[in-house]
Amino acid sequence: MSELHVLCKVNDTEYVLPAADVLQMESFAGATKVPGAAAQVAGLVQIRGRVVPVVDLRVVFGLTPIPPTLDSRVVVMKASERVVGLLVDSAREVLKIPADDFHPPPAVLVQQTDGLVKAVAQVGNRLLMLIDFIKVIGEEHDDGDE
Amino acid sequence: MSDGFEASEFITGFIAEAEEHLTSANANLLSLDQASAAGQPTPRQVRELFRSLHTIKGLAAMVGVEPIVDIAHAMETVLREADRAAGQLPVGSVELLLRGTRAIGQRVAALAKRKPVAAAPSTLVEALNALRQSGSNRPQAAAGTTLADDLWARLGSAEREQLLQGLMAGRRGVVATFIPAPERANAGINITSVRERMATVAEIVKVVPQSIPATESAPGGLAFALILLTDATDEVVAEASSSDPATLRPIALQSGPPAATEEGEESDDDTNPRQQGVVRVEVARLDDALEKLSALVVTQFRLTRAVAALRATGTDTRALALVVADNGRQLRDLRSSIMRARMVPVAEVLERVPLLLRGLSRSTGKQARLELRTGKTELDKAVAERIFPAVVHLIRNAADHALESPAERRAAGKPETGLITVVAVERSDNQLELTISDDGRGVDAAAVARRAGVPVPATDDGLLELLTRPGLSTKSEVTTTSGRGVGMDVVKRIAVDELRGALAMTTIRGQGTTFVLRVPLSITIVDAFSFVSGGETFVVPVAMVEEIQELDPSRTVRGPDRRRVARATPDRRQVARGTDMIERRGEAVPLLRLDEIFGLAVEGAAGRKVIIVRRNGEPFAFAVDRMLGQQEVVVRPLDDRLVRVDGISGTTDLGDGKPTLVLDLVALGGKLITGPGPGRERAHA
Repeated sequence: MSELHVLCKVNDTEYVLPAADVLQMESFAGATKVPGAAAQVAGLVQIRGRVVPVVDLRVVFGLTPIPPTLDSRVVVMKASERVVGLLVDSAREVLKIPADDFHPPPAVLVQQTDGLVKAVAQVGNRLLMLIDFIKVIGEEHDDGDE
Repeated sequence: MSDGFEASEFITGFIAEAEEHLTSANANLLSLDQASAAGQPTPRQVRELFRSLHTIKGLAAMVGVEPIVDIAHAMETVLREADRAAGQLPVGSVELLLRGTRAIGQRVAALAKRKPVAAAPSTLVEALNALRQSGSNRPQAAAGTTLADDLWARLGSAEREQLLQGLMAGRRGVVATFIPAPERANAGINITSVRERMATVAEIVKVVPQSIPATESAPGGLAFALILLTDATDEVVAEASSSDPATLRPIALQSGPPAATEEGEESDDDTNPRQQGVVRVEVARLDDALEKLSALVVTQFRLTRAVAALRATGTDTRALALVVADNGRQLRDLRSSIMRARMVPVAEVLERVPLLLRGLSRSTGKQARLELRTGKTELDKAVAERIFPAVVHLIRNAADHALESPAERRAAGKPETGLITVVAVERSDNQLELTISDDGRGVDAAAVARRAGVPVPATDDGLLELLTRPGLSTKSEVTTTSGRGVGMDVVKRIAVDELRGALAMTTIRGQGTTFVLRVPLSITIVDAFSFVSGGETFVVPVAMVEEIQELDPSRTVRGPDRRRVARATPDRRQVARGTDMIERRGEAVPLLRLDEIFGLAVEGAAGRKVIIVRRNGEPFAFAVDRMLGQQEVVVRPLDDRLVRVDGISGTTDLGDGKPTLVLDLVALGGKLITGPGPGRERAHA
């Protein structure tokens, strides 16, 4: 039993997202900023007529945001009723990863990533981290960043 | 020879552009035709039409195609004057303008086939010029009757329409004059009795009081002009108005009604049983009612607060609260009643489609039968106006590209006459589903993919995505009706981007194509100002704005401690307590810099305009960089909690395909004083 996964890169680290939850992948040339929204919200983009909030995974992972490049991608994902885009540095490959290849992340990683990494898979010599989408979009800070 | 090569390059570009503009011109003309039949002014369509023709003229002049320049020029002039007359087009102009776009289309087609271009049809150009002359001599009476200008000016648009429709339907128009005098009054003849008697022999369009020089027969210096539509003789009318038959003045149409069958069909409509008990109302009047209702809602809100304040003093307000709650419910009911009044039957929206298809059949030589199954479905007038051009595009495409010629169809074992079906169904989720299907050749996925330079899509969705890419076309040969398939991107833009609906397609080679358009039954459209602050564009509903002013530094008091307000991470409480004030009619108004509030402030940039809003009677001024304009926008709510922020009520698309934030400055102002605000800012803002 294997499942398709979208592979994306953030700061040269490779992450995977279940392809079944991915609606589409779009290039990214900037978003409409939403003043007052959480820090990781890069803004709003309009994709096929739908206005989609975009979460910058760089900010989620505590990195500084970078200006959009030609490789930047918004991976639009769906979770129950919500549709949110994840901004990544690049997203090119789709991989089949058997469910058995995923292992629970090491405790230190869980701690470092606030549980954003759900599982880790070893594919060849690559280490791929499965992102917990719900955790990413559910993570809405109620207070400022100061 | 290089010259020739370049010119032909130009011409290819010209053909593509001209077709695009003709398509939009035709769509505008059709919606204009509808709107003017409903007695509505059409400033937007007139302006867009003007732009289309102006562009066509400029392009044609560039490539040196004089006949097109001539036709476009004549049309453009009519439209410019209509634009100045607030979108009021002279009677009969739609027909002439349609003939104009057709004439231009034929010449563009000739160019594309490298055939000689015929001279501009002189009858058409003359007719257009005649329209213009009648318009320019009588700007107010652009709609063209022989009614005296001073009387015409006193008629409302509905009355003008009533008069014109009556005249076009062949009724006699008459102006009778009633002069009141004491002896007449003694005999019981006054304007009221004249009105009553007149109503039995004629339809009174309007009674206009006029002052005239006082004479023996008119000691009051007053006369009433009765503008009438009647089938009665002059004697009967004169008798009813107690006046001399010689004083009656006839009203005639100035430029005769177009001889087209359309007009006949339309007057038939008036006697159609479906129309009985129906009042045609300008949408503007309903909008006006809605606006007054909003004022009422605000009052209700104040009432609620007053009750709360009273309760805080220990008064028993239970009985009062019940009344207020009832009142709120009634207001909501009233609102939905008004929204219902804005609904129009889909059948009515599509009633011109058969005509369109007849025209298409004639020009393509293909035979097509149309089946309209709309039932009793209705949708909001504003949605109807927006979706109509998309439906027209799809029907055009079906008739022009999808349906095969009779010979091809025979060879394929199909009936010679193609079938186009339009079905409207109301869905449970407040959406209207419009299905436009044909039994034509189906979409050639391979050809589409080739044109787009991509692999053949595996699914119909993928194919539709390619088809709706701007500028894509599968038709290498130009056809007169729908150009090169220009328009699928427009259909998608209207249905998906503007109306936030959906567009889907299924196609089977050799059997036909079905498009499904889903649009909301009604949409929230508000009149809004757009402006720039901190380099970003925002819109704010006009209804929310009390005033827009220049920011006058000499009337601004700059308070202390401003520098403590960090630029990128403002503390809202501090901003709110900020002592910047502007003086406005003796009142000190707190001045808030929107770019600072939003963490968008740029060093050295100072707002140049202030938008003043009022919350609970307290004014606030927001400094912004500059105003962009005013337009109607479709507001979409922001659902996701990631982006649900006080002061932002939704997004809209100003036409650039990007979301623009719709601000609730009143709530934002409130948030700033009642703080503590969310205080969230993007770290990388």
